[in-house]
Amino acid sequence: MIPDALVLEKGITARDQWVTVPAERIREVLSALKTDGYRLLVFLTCVDHLIDSSREFPARFEIVYQLRDLEKPADIRVRAFVGGESPRIDSVHDLFPTANWDERETYDMFGIVFSGHPGLTRILMPDDWVGHPLRRDFPVGGEVVEFSEEHQTWQTAPDEA
Amino acid sequence: MSTIESPGVTVSRTGEQGAFGGELLTVNFGPHHPSTHGVLRLIVDLDGEQIKRVQPVIGYLHTGIEKQMEALRWQQGVVVTDRHDYLSPPINNLAYALAVEKLMGVEVPPRARALRVIMSELTRLSSHLVWLGTSGIELGAMSMLMYCFREREQIMDLNEEISGFRMHTSYIRPGGVFADSTPRFLEMLDKFVREMPGHVDEYEDLLTMNPIWRARTIGIGRLPAEDAKVLGATGPMLRGSGVEWDLRKSMPYSGYEDYDFEVAVSNDCDCYGRYLVRIKEMREAVKILRQALDRLPDGPVNIDDRKMLPPPREELETSMEAVIHHFKLFTEGYTVPAGDAYVAVESGRGENGCYIVSDGTHKPRRVKFRSASFVNLQALERMALNHMVADMIAIIGTADTVLGDVDR
Repeated sequence: MIPDALVLEKGITARDQWVTVPAERIREVLSALKTDGYRLLVFLTCVDHLIDSSREFPARFEIVYQLRDLEKPADIRVRAFVGGESPRIDSVHDLFPTANWDERETYDMFGIVFSGHPGLTRILMPDDWVGHPLRRDFPVGGEVVEFSEEHQTWQTAPDEA
Repeated sequence: MSTIESPGVTVSRTGEQGAFGGELLTVNFGPHHPSTHGVLRLIVDLDGEQIKRVQPVIGYLHTGIEKQMEALRWQQGVVVTDRHDYLSPPINNLAYALAVEKLMGVEVPPRARALRVIMSELTRLSSHLVWLGTSGIELGAMSMLMYCFREREQIMDLNEEISGFRMHTSYIRPGGVFADSTPRFLEMLDKFVREMPGHVDEYEDLLTMNPIWRARTIGIGRLPAEDAKVLGATGPMLRGSGVEWDLRKSMPYSGYEDYDFEVAVSNDCDCYGRYLVRIKEMREAVKILRQALDRLPDGPVNIDDRKMLPPPREELETSMEAVIHHFKLFTEGYTVPAGDAYVAVESGRGENGCYIVSDGTHKPRRVKFRSASFVNLQALERMALNHMVADMIAIIGTADTVLGDVDR
């Protein structure tokens, strides 16, 4: 079980069990859960809560880990909040090998740095892309179409990204 | 490291010594090689003909589907979900629809549930048929594609009959399904269900005992059960490694618990095992279709909530309230309570999940698709290690990744 000291908040939303933990202790939490039998990392992603007035959030980025126990079967969602200029959290690729690409994708899309990741590079966007597209302040529309006549300028950095 | 510098040729020498005295050679494979089922690029380190390292390079089909979802209203997003795993649109619709319904706390009527199961199983069949046909071609069984696409065509006709579209049906949507089944659809489905087991026998006649097919698949791409679990593989990849895990049985959704079917498992742990699993799944899908057809309940196919679904056309002429609801729904949509939900469904490739986050507005804050192909592709290196380059085709083929689903 996760030590009580590490649980900031827990609950059940829409029949899904979840727990919020401190970001800097994420490896401890996930290895405890792995020992409990939650051995499959279903997915890992990030939610950008920029200007979200629906609820109170401790920080802008919420890293979400969905874990599953194949024997029971049961799911648990672990949340950790990170913020600041360069958001970072520890990598869990050695605990869950599937996290490798998920972390690369989250870095690519949100700019979250996973410390200790063996090769944190962009995975879906081109290597020389500027900005992190799934951030809420990355503009939609108005970009120059890639491989068109205007492609010289397609890499123009978005203003706010 | 020296590279042979000329445009288009991407072979480089690593300088490392191989087991047979030669040097390791890095060879580029793809991204538009016909056997990669899309645009997958692999950087392969070879010792002679043996594969020593595989580094998949993905992203060539990235279309920003998750970003697009954030700009669309909840009911509009369905159209986008069709398009990431383009071989199984209704299953993707189902994952999204179930996630939205879970967060809103609504249950669809029994007839809608049964129609969703029918569409999911038809999709599973058509997805496996594409897989079987294309894998057959890659490994030298040229006629497979014609047989498989003959039956797939019937499924496309069924899609067209019930939804108006052949491929991107957008048939399953939050709150129910697009339209009720027509009598003609049920007739066509009945005929299809009666004929399909015979067709699966035909495929088996062509491949199961075929010496070339067996030589190309047995013992190739081994993935032991423990490795498959650690690498997070799902679907036929996991079941082909002897793990009995099927979301339809283990974590049932949309009424799958009411159907009697077996989970296809093979202990072979190789390409041939994955082939057997998919063949068995096709037979089981036909079984489910038969049960769904025989027990199709009567009643509405949508929830009775005018805040979420538009009123019937005829009401618009007589009821002012219906006009208001119609107008509100098509100008601003409906809102979903703040929170998040995750729903996983079993697609032809494994666990296709949809994680949605709502901030209480009429558009999603975040939609994340957990795609089976993306995760299964990570097991490629484990499967291809120490095999010949030509075996890689069999391994990629039986992993059955859809690159649209990998890149989203």
